[in-house]
Amino acid sequence: MSSETNKSVSATPDSDESPVRGATVPIWLIILMVMLLYWGALYFDNNGGWFSMQVYAPYRSEAEVQIFNVGGGPNPAAAGKAVYDKTCVACHQATGLGAPGQFPPLVGSEWVNEAEPGRVIRIVLQGLQGPITVKGQPFNNAMVPWNSLSDEDIANVISYVRQNTEWGNKASLVTPAQVKAMRDKVKNHPGAFTADELLKIAPNE
Amino acid sequence: MNYGPLIFLASFFALSASWFGFVLTPQIQLGRQQQQTNTVNTAELYPQSRPGEARQGLEIYRANGCAACHSQQVGQTGTAVDVLLTEIGANSVAVADTLKAHTKLTNVSGPGLAAGLPKTILTGATMSEANQLTARLKTDGAKTELRLVPLGPDIARGWGLRHSVAADFLFDSPVMLGSQRVGPDLANVGARLSDANWHLAHLYAPRSVIKDSPMPSYRFLFEKRKIKQQPSSDALQLSKDFVPPAGFEIVPKPEAKVLVAYLQSLHANAPLFEAPLTPPRAPAASTNNPAAATNAPAK
Repeated sequence: MSSETNKSVSATPDSDESPVRGATVPIWLIILMVMLLYWGALYFDNNGGWFSMQVYAPYRSEAEVQIFNVGGGPNPAAAGKAVYDKTCVACHQATGLGAPGQFPPLVGSEWVNEAEPGRVIRIVLQGLQGPITVKGQPFNNAMVPWNSLSDEDIANVISYVRQNTEWGNKASLVTPAQVKAMRDKVKNHPGAFTADELLKIAPNE
Repeated sequence: MNYGPLIFLASFFALSASWFGFVLTPQIQLGRQQQQTNTVNTAELYPQSRPGEARQGLEIYRANGCAACHSQQVGQTGTAVDVLLTEIGANSVAVADTLKAHTKLTNVSGPGLAAGLPKTILTGATMSEANQLTARLKTDGAKTELRLVPLGPDIARGWGLRHSVAADFLFDSPVMLGSQRVGPDLANVGARLSDANWHLAHLYAPRSVIKDSPMPSYRFLFEKRKIKQQPSSDALQLSKDFVPPAGFEIVPKPEAKVLVAYLQSLHANAPLFEAPLTPPRAPAASTNNPAAATNAPAK
């Protein structure tokens, strides 16, 4: 009795559904969907900017944005000012003049303007301890090491100071590679440099 | 048939796909943005956090529903390139020939060429056209400069110099993007309208400064009070239909002042890598000192 009812119950939906199941998707619909997918992929490729955070509406790729950056990317000295304003102003002042007897000036300083930047990079990386003479004035204080900054930041900030024409400085740029090489050299130096010690090292070493 | 699992899987797939697209991807793209130095050599960090008054002003802006009628997002449809001739060099005949052949300029022979340098010799060009002309003029010994001019209806209306980018909103919480434009876009209003008194008068009585403005007046941000001895230095200078009765003055409450400070802090015009633009030329007097000219605050 119960098996009979089960049969009839299960039979009815089957017979109802069979025409639906048997229906096939027309071939033109499949072709249309593939074409739409293809068009979508092309559209995404052209206008998506590949999820780069630098690409906004009128541009289609980072390369296109780059074409419009006529200056050729960030200026190292300009980026260096940002580092200077965060790191160096406290002692050397925004004017680069420092404070008499305590913090030597960077404006027109013979240490800053050396043709080879070796000594300046050493000072920034390891700090400086004890007496030093800058522009004929004696200074005696300690500068903390800034080796926590990245190679780029150190190169940029030294470039900013060395190329600051407002301060009358006209020395060469410093590259991150130079800083990296120096970082490896002074890795094992105990503590800060002293002026006497720096003077014994040739500036191009 | 039991379609439960299929429906569950389908809706799970649909929801997670949109979560990936709308939440996760933008977070990966932009979530760790920081202040950056912009590409034009100004050495200033962008964006700067707003001053404290302006941050309070953001709350007033939010509380009064300003974002319901004002958006803070400028659109852009492209970038045109202008070429400026800055120096002619020794071979002025060759330069004149090149200009005749490749630009629409006509008066380029003799003294007409040197008149009014630097002058625009090509406008609305594409980057490749501009580069071609620059290369030609370079071989003739002349010097040129490229200027990038963002295009689009919003920019034509003067609402901004370039399209808005995520960095513009880095320090705002919540971001007052807005979606309706009953009033003008405010993304760059601090640069456009820098006068605090104008803003105060406009908030108190919009029709006093813009004749047909549909903006409601925000008089509850102001106080009408009797002049005791001296009129307050803060009192609004209003045009004649809006002047308070004799012996009274209209003084902004702190809410109005901080709101104006916020409006004045809305600057979205720094040239960035992702929004290239040549800033408007600095005054001619300071061209001798490029460092000083570019360090001037953007006005």
